Amino acid sequence: MAMAVFRREGRRLLPSIAARPIAAIRSPLSSDQEEGLLGVRSISTQVVRNRMKSVKNIQKITKAMKMVAASKLRAVQGRAENSRGLWQPFTALLGDNPSIDVKKSVVVTLSSDKGLCGGINSTVVKVSRALYKLNAGPEKEVQFVIVGEKAKAIMFRDSKNDIVLSVTELNKNPLNYAQVSVLADDILKNVEFDALRIVYNKFHSVVAFLPTVSTVLSPEIIEKESEIGGKLGELDSYEIEGGETKGEILQNLAEFQFSCVMFNAVLENACSEMGARMSAMDSSSRNAGEMLDRLTLTYNRTRQASITTELIEIISGASALEAAK
Amino acid sequence: MASNAAVPFWRAAGMTYITYSNICANLVRNCLKEPFKAESINREKVHFSLSKWSDGKPQKPVLRSDTPQV
Repeated sequence: MAMAVFRREGRRLLPSIAARPIAAIRSPLSSDQEEGLLGVRSISTQVVRNRMKSVKNIQKITKAMKMVAASKLRAVQGRAENSRGLWQPFTALLGDNPSIDVKKSVVVTLSSDKGLCGGINSTVVKVSRALYKLNAGPEKEVQFVIVGEKAKAIMFRDSKNDIVLSVTELNKNPLNYAQVSVLADDILKNVEFDALRIVYNKFHSVVAFLPTVSTVLSPEIIEKESEIGGKLGELDSYEIEGGETKGEILQNLAEFQFSCVMFNAVLENACSEMGARMSAMDSSSRNAGEMLDRLTLTYNRTRQASITTELIEIISGASALEAAK
Repeated sequence: MASNAAVPFWRAAGMTYITYSNICANLVRNCLKEPFKAESINREKVHFSLSKWSDGKPQKPVLRSDTPQV
C-alpha cells in the first residue's frame, strides 16, 4: 500500500515527455492509471502490454489473409489469362464500340462479395456512375445489373431506382463457365437492352488493376451498324454456311459473345480482388508492425521510468535514515 | 437462303443460344467415362442468388443452384 503511494508521488516528478505520445492509449479499465496533480497522464505497463498483444494478433491475422489471397490468386490467374482468348475472336470480327450511341444501355457492374480488398469496388462503382451520366439523356435510358454485395451496398444509396437485377453468392463455388453462362442467360431473359456495358477490374499485374468497360451490342444494333459501314460493314463479305440467315447468326453470336465476355470479366475481377486484398493485408501487417515498434519503445520507457522511481525512493529513504542517525 | 420462318427448333422453343450450348455441353459431359465424368460434373456446379428489383426495392431473391440448401 505504502509503495503504491510512493509510486504515485514518484510519477508526478516524471517529465511529461513519456506521457505525451501515449496520451491516446488511455484505457479506463486499468486500475494503475491516474492523472497527476499537474495534469500529467501516465500509462501503466499493463495497458501497453495488452495493446501490444492485440496488435500482434492483428498482424498475424492479416499476414495469414495475405497468404490465403496469394494462393487463391495463383489459382485464378492462369484461368483468367486463358479465358482472354474467348472474346478476342469476337472483337476481331465485330469490333469494339464503346462509344456507340444507343437508346437502352444496361451497365453490368461486377464487384466482390467480401470486403477488405482495398478500393476496387469503389472504382468500379465510380466508372458505372460515369457511364450512367454519359449515356443518360432524353429518350435514352440506363439500367444497372449489379453482381456482388459490395457494389449493391454502394449503389443502393443513390441509384436504386435504376437497378434492375442484383446477383450475389457467385463466388461460393469455384468460378466456371456453366455458372456464368446461366447468369448471362438470366440477364438476357430479364433485361431489354441495345448495348450491354460490363464494368470490371482488369488484372494487369498483382499491383495494377484498371477498371475496364466491355461493350456487347444486341443483334439489332449490329445489323443497323453494319449497314452504316465500318468494321461491321464487312460482315457481308463472310459466307454463311448452313440454313441460317445472317440475322440468326448475329443473334447467336451476340448471345455467345455476351457469355464469353462475362466469363472473362468475372475471372479478371476475381483476380483483381485477390490482388487488392493481398496488397491491403500487406500494408495492414506493415502498419501493425510499426505500431508494435512504437508501443515497445513506450513500454520500455515506462518500465525504466518506474524502475528509476523505485530506486530513487529506496535511496532517498536510505539516506533519510542515515541522516536521522 | 432459308426463309424467315425456319428458325432452329430450340429458338422456336424459347431457348437462347447459351441455353442450347449448355444442354449440349451437359450431354457431352455425360458421355465421359468415370472418373473423368464425376470430376467434370463437379467442376461445373452452378450457384448464385438472383433478385429482381422494382421501384428501387429488391424482391425476394431466387437461388439458382445445383445444391439447393435445406
